[in-house]
Amino acid sequence: MNVIVLLAIILCLLMVVVGGRQGFRSFLSLFLNFGVLFITIFLMTNPKNSPIILTFIACTIISWISLFYINQTNSKTITAFMATMVTIVVLLLFITFVTKKTMIQGFSEESTEEISIFSLYIGVNFAQIGASVIIMSTIGAIMDVAISIASSMHEIFYRNPSISRKALFTSGLGIGRDILGTDTNTLFFAFFGGYLSLLIWFKDLSYSLGEIVNSKVFSAEIMTIFCAGIGIALIIPIASFINAYYLVRTREKTL
Amino acid sequence: MRFFKKATYKQGIFYFLLALCCIISIVVVHHNEQFYDRPIAEIIKAEVAESEPLTDMYENEDYLFTQKIIAVLKNGQAQGQRIHLTNEYSLSGAFDQQYHVGNKIFVAINEQTIQSDVTGTIIDVKRDQTIVIIAWIFIFALLIIGRRQGLFAIISLGINVLVLSFALDLYVKHGNISLLLISGACAILFTIISLLLISGLKTKTYAAIVSTLLGTIIALLISSLVMWLTGENDLRYEEMQFLTRPYRTIFMAGLFIGSLGAVMDVSITMASSIFALYEQDPSISIQALKASGQEIGKDIMGTITSILFFAYLCGSIPMVILYLKNSYTLGLTLSLNLSLELARALAGGIGVVLTIPISQYIALFFITRKKVEG
Repeated sequence: MNVIVLLAIILCLLMVVVGGRQGFRSFLSLFLNFGVLFITIFLMTNPKNSPIILTFIACTIISWISLFYINQTNSKTITAFMATMVTIVVLLLFITFVTKKTMIQGFSEESTEEISIFSLYIGVNFAQIGASVIIMSTIGAIMDVAISIASSMHEIFYRNPSISRKALFTSGLGIGRDILGTDTNTLFFAFFGGYLSLLIWFKDLSYSLGEIVNSKVFSAEIMTIFCAGIGIALIIPIASFINAYYLVRTREKTL
Repeated sequence: MRFFKKATYKQGIFYFLLALCCIISIVVVHHNEQFYDRPIAEIIKAEVAESEPLTDMYENEDYLFTQKIIAVLKNGQAQGQRIHLTNEYSLSGAFDQQYHVGNKIFVAINEQTIQSDVTGTIIDVKRDQTIVIIAWIFIFALLIIGRRQGLFAIISLGINVLVLSFALDLYVKHGNISLLLISGACAILFTIISLLLISGLKTKTYAAIVSTLLGTIIALLISSLVMWLTGENDLRYEEMQFLTRPYRTIFMAGLFIGSLGAVMDVSITMASSIFALYEQDPSISIQALKASGQEIGKDIMGTITSILFFAYLCGSIPMVILYLKNSYTLGLTLSLNLSLELARALAGGIGVVLTIPISQYIALFFITRKKVEG
């Protein structure tokens, strides 16, 4: 049997055993997200479509699935969704600028051998695709922070309904800070694992520090790490603000 | 701003020193050409001389441009001299790029006789300037928003990078040590360092460390077993990039380290919430703790596996596009480019889900012991 099918079956079984129906939904949403990712890539091959706009649409659908399908539509997921979208727009602008400035698009010198058999003049905008890669790599973590902050802030608000907007905002920041460390950690290690062969490559071919830092492939990887960190930090105040604003506003309306 | 009012004298000094470091490093990196052996030039004039449409054998349409560039050499013997360069680039920019006035580039100077007209070829862009600026944005974003936790996240990243770099040095210099052994040792160090920095010297941290290691090892065993059972059917190693060593060990070691962060995330979240419940109400029954642990586990399971999923799969987007545009079939493109990443993501996911009950029981074990002692 195929490795991937077997691993997927094991994962599905484990998720159902540990998480019951919600676990099955989580597995299904992974599957759906893979579908969205795949369709996005497919649409990106058409040079007429802008990869940035496609990424934005894909992120919207992915957060829609992950937030509303797993956790149901309620005020928590709506605020989390809004916070995710705002952060993604800000990050997209920032990352597009960064990838242009560092010129990390496309393929590096190190992969010349592999890509030599391909035609590289394929008309799609690789600078924008580079930006999409970075943003899509981080979307999982951004949603995680958004939903954690939203549900904790709702909890605080229900326990203490007379809390001021400012106090609510500050407590949101506090919750965000607690998950900042673990989420950045998750992403950093995921990237380290992926870059292991690259790091050994640098050591084996004894690249100098200057060569490593200026090489396209290393710059692309380190930019992904930095942008992921910036994204996770950025969503904390955004999500806290949106939740504080929304919760206090609904209280004022009902009074 | 409340932030500035609340900042103490010590914090003031800290931020002042940090800002100073930031400015100094940016200035240094903008003027560090002397430290490079390779010739560096700054572009002072760049104009497109020719442009022509191009259609490749798969009917992909693109534009090819030729740029005439004049740059000034910034280091070496010919410092200050002008150099004439040509750059060919395509609109898509898969392997090339347009240059602009002000870009600094690495060049190779052609040997020649006439002094006045130096020519050469462009090798690569000097990227360190932008990297340093983005690095500072990263540091300031984490510090200003995350304060203490942000600082610890940066420190933990720094230490872990050093540990990994040192371990790989060991591996490369002494080829006889197995990579799996080294990454195992690294994993233990990573876990202890990161979790201590995240949650301090507390019982919950120890519980999280134990469950992280157990969870990762069991996940690794399961994935090895699966790979052995299926004979690694359909895992396409040939598209693994940057290989100088046996691919299988590198893949397994990468899988090991890659899932570690996510497993740590689960362990510490579970341990923190179960211990918090216990501390709020020390008389709470083990049964109740177990039930709430299960609820928390269900909530985090989906999001953490999807973090891993996206982090792994998105890196292959450019390669997949290149394959598809070169008329590869869909099935072959996906199995060549995504099989390893998918296997990694799924194995990481298995680690994450397994760690939920493991960390739950270990946290409960520590709490029962505490109850008996207290």
